[in-house]
Amino acid sequence: MAQSRREFLKKTAALSAASYIGMNLPYAKAGVAPGAEEQTWHRGSCRLCGTGCRVELGVKNGKAVALRGVKDARTNFGYLCMKGMLFWKCMGHPDRLTKPLFREKKTDKFKEISWDQALDIAAEKFADAVKQNGSNSVGYYGSGQCLTEETYLFQKVFRGGLQTNNVEGNPRLCMASAVGGYLTSFGADEPIGGYADIEQANCFFIIGSNTAEAHPVLFRRIMRRKLDNKDVKVINADPRVSQTSRIADLHLQFDPGTDLTLLNAMAHVIIEEKLYDEKFLSDYTAFKSGKNETVDLEAYRKFLADYTPEKAAAICRGNMTADKIRQTARWFATSKATLSLWTMGINQRKQGVWANNLIHNLHILTGQLLKPGADSLSLTGQPNACGGVREGGGLCHILPGHRPVEKENLRNQVEEAWGMPKGRIPAEPGYHTMAMFTAVNEGKIKALWVNCTSPMQSLPNVELYAKGMKREDVFIVCTDIFPTLTTQVVNLILPAAFHFEKTGVYGCTERRSQLTVKAVDAPKGAMPEVWIVREWARLLAIKLQDPLIAKCVESYDGLEPDYALPKAIWDEYSQKLTKGRDNDLRGATYEVMKQMADGVQWPAPTEEYALTGGTVKKFVRGMDPMADSHAKDDKPYQFYGPAHPDGKLWIWLREQAAPEEVPDAEYPFYLSTGRIVDHWHTSSMTGRIPELLRANPYAFVEINPKDAAKLGIIPGDMVEVESRRGKNMLPAKVYEGPTQGMVFVYWHDQHPDRLINKVTKDAFDPGSKEPEFKICSCRIKRISGPQALTPFIYNG
Amino acid sequence: MPIGGIIISVRPEKTEEILFVLVQFPGVEVHGHDEQGNVVAVIDAPSTWVMEKIVKKINVFEAVLSIGFTYLNMEDEVDGPAPGERIPGLFHGVELDAG
Ligand code: SF4
Repeated sequence: MAQSRREFLKKTAALSAASYIGMNLPYAKAGVAPGAEEQTWHRGSCRLCGTGCRVELGVKNGKAVALRGVKDARTNFGYLCMKGMLFWKCMGHPDRLTKPLFREKKTDKFKEISWDQALDIAAEKFADAVKQNGSNSVGYYGSGQCLTEETYLFQKVFRGGLQTNNVEGNPRLCMASAVGGYLTSFGADEPIGGYADIEQANCFFIIGSNTAEAHPVLFRRIMRRKLDNKDVKVINADPRVSQTSRIADLHLQFDPGTDLTLLNAMAHVIIEEKLYDEKFLSDYTAFKSGKNETVDLEAYRKFLADYTPEKAAAICRGNMTADKIRQTARWFATSKATLSLWTMGINQRKQGVWANNLIHNLHILTGQLLKPGADSLSLTGQPNACGGVREGGGLCHILPGHRPVEKENLRNQVEEAWGMPKGRIPAEPGYHTMAMFTAVNEGKIKALWVNCTSPMQSLPNVELYAKGMKREDVFIVCTDIFPTLTTQVVNLILPAAFHFEKTGVYGCTERRSQLTVKAVDAPKGAMPEVWIVREWARLLAIKLQDPLIAKCVESYDGLEPDYALPKAIWDEYSQKLTKGRDNDLRGATYEVMKQMADGVQWPAPTEEYALTGGTVKKFVRGMDPMADSHAKDDKPYQFYGPAHPDGKLWIWLREQAAPEEVPDAEYPFYLSTGRIVDHWHTSSMTGRIPELLRANPYAFVEINPKDAAKLGIIPGDMVEVESRRGKNMLPAKVYEGPTQGMVFVYWHDQHPDRLINKVTKDAFDPGSKEPEFKICSCRIKRISGPQALTPFIYNG
Repeated sequence: MPIGGIIISVRPEKTEEILFVLVQFPGVEVHGHDEQGNVVAVIDAPSTWVMEKIVKKINVFEAVLSIGFTYLNMEDEVDGPAPGERIPGLFHGVELDAG
């Protein structure tokens, strides 16, 4: 590259960075335009977490050559993290799957076959299963990384075509408890506010989230808010000191699972010190006992009497003191605006819904909701867990548009929209994720479609469920871009197009739907999932001689798969199935989303309204069109959520309850798991990007120095981590991260010795059915000094 | 040979100190900074791997609070990594093959 070109690119890079913070660089005036202009820029979302950062992909000669953040996007204001900067490397990667691969038996070698053969086999196997064992012997297991159009179409064919609600997805493993919490506390799924609250918050309560590593760009916004405003407080509550704790004024460290006590103790202080918002409580709130009986503030006060800060500190242990709990409660209640943020530390728990409820309780109690800067905001891990799976009907108990399956009138609405007779969609919810894989183990599921996810790595207690997936009488088809641990155990692999190689919508944490339009061709042979499902459904209809299966895809006949097909699916979903629902997306058409730097926040019933960006705060009259159209009185807030007929927010009386497994003499440590900044989920993508793999080639086990000293473990030693279910051998990292008595392991590593979900527990929340990945008991021992390790990415 | 545009957010009172540190890194150019602790820098590195390493090293400093990327051009590097490569080395404290 000529020197002058490099100089030009450097200035471009500097100008792009400077423009995001409003800094003027001297050469801006000298005529260097921001952005190197030989390539065309294509706007879309980042692929690698739930933040929803907007990017522009620079394409030259049909190849991705540059990436930049979108300055006007309200998700990231142009900033990206290193991982996000590098996701494009998956596109031309030599490991990409480009041919359908089939084997009759799972012990056979795969053979390349044509797409015609592949679709025929997939249709034959699903049709056989339905004919021989009924509709509930087939299932779909999808992902919060699929586009909404994909999830919607898969579930339409399974429900309307094959007549089963066995439609699940990996968001069950991460977001289900948040859904349960929002529905039971606020009467409607998904947050009231969003990221815009960050710049207006005066107190951040970050619990069970390592935001700095899991949502780096959001962390940047929080950090900026704190640096720019000296009075802003950050409280980080977590059994482990993480990168996020770097900016905390107060770090609350406690034994895993005792946070329900902490949250109740904060409520205790708020009540005793009269820090609650009396008017907000009397206008908008009901109190509910565990059995859904309505009680009152007095009953709540009595319930909390036992949660004194002193008692709570003794239960929580770690670095907790009564004074810290009081301080936290006071900051939370009295700040001008408090924003809570959490992720898997709260959701992946046997008491996940309860933990969510107890955070919401604090916001309702203090009125720290609905005003600028105040919100109870669950962060999403995947780019489309909210949009595709929670809203698009991707879980066994919900139909598109937040419709519970068991409600007949709501099923009928969907049947009508699909042109199906009443009663076509079964009334019974299907298998939730853990039940689905149990059914696989028991041979009750005979044909399973796994789309864009790797349950062979991501399920808890994974070896137990691997047994079922390896059964020869369970046919598994998998759509993906790379080989994964799951493609090891399937019969048929269908190569899929990657992000920016197809068109569709992602909906991130804050009710925001954003469009990514195809910018580069997929490698020859890889196809968009919407095409795959349409063609498969046609064959299925013939094999099962059921015209209603064909009807599921009839209106998409002849549409090209790169844009027209996904657009038709989105139009059907948004116009027919979100109409009048709380996630009304009728205004968020492709045409509107293409005009927006950052998409649309629902509810957005009209295009005109959607073009303003949509609804920043739900339930607030004047800010949310549905709060106006559904108003029951003249109060400023209107809680029209479908789950609370009384139109109120509910404060729940929820007791401390222990995790399923706590340390004992045999297994004396807590084990928790999580992410590291460079890797994402099962690392099938980030592990193939050398920069990211080399930055963290292996998972390791983090051990508190006091525990390490007792066990004679020094940094780099190989340590065995063993539970009642399985064991790992990992190198040790010794540091003041996890609280004493707890170890922490990253879960991205695919190597059989370091695959931590062999060790985790598959207990799940009785309400949300989300597994308790975050807490189980284990024992650890030193095996040897440092050993040479080889990074491992399964490659077929 | 990729070129990245970054904003390094540092504790404002430590900006000068970090500016001094940054000039020691080969390939890092500081293009500006402000009173809020925003430092605009460009990294010109032989590979994205080296760029990642530089970012990691900058991030180690206590005064550095976050590093945000805004732009990356990798037009020389589009052919992607080789599959199945093996990286020898130990987990702890041993330099991996720089590739
Ligand atoms: S924070 Fe998440 S969405 Fe944003 S650039 Fe990083 S990986 Fe992508």
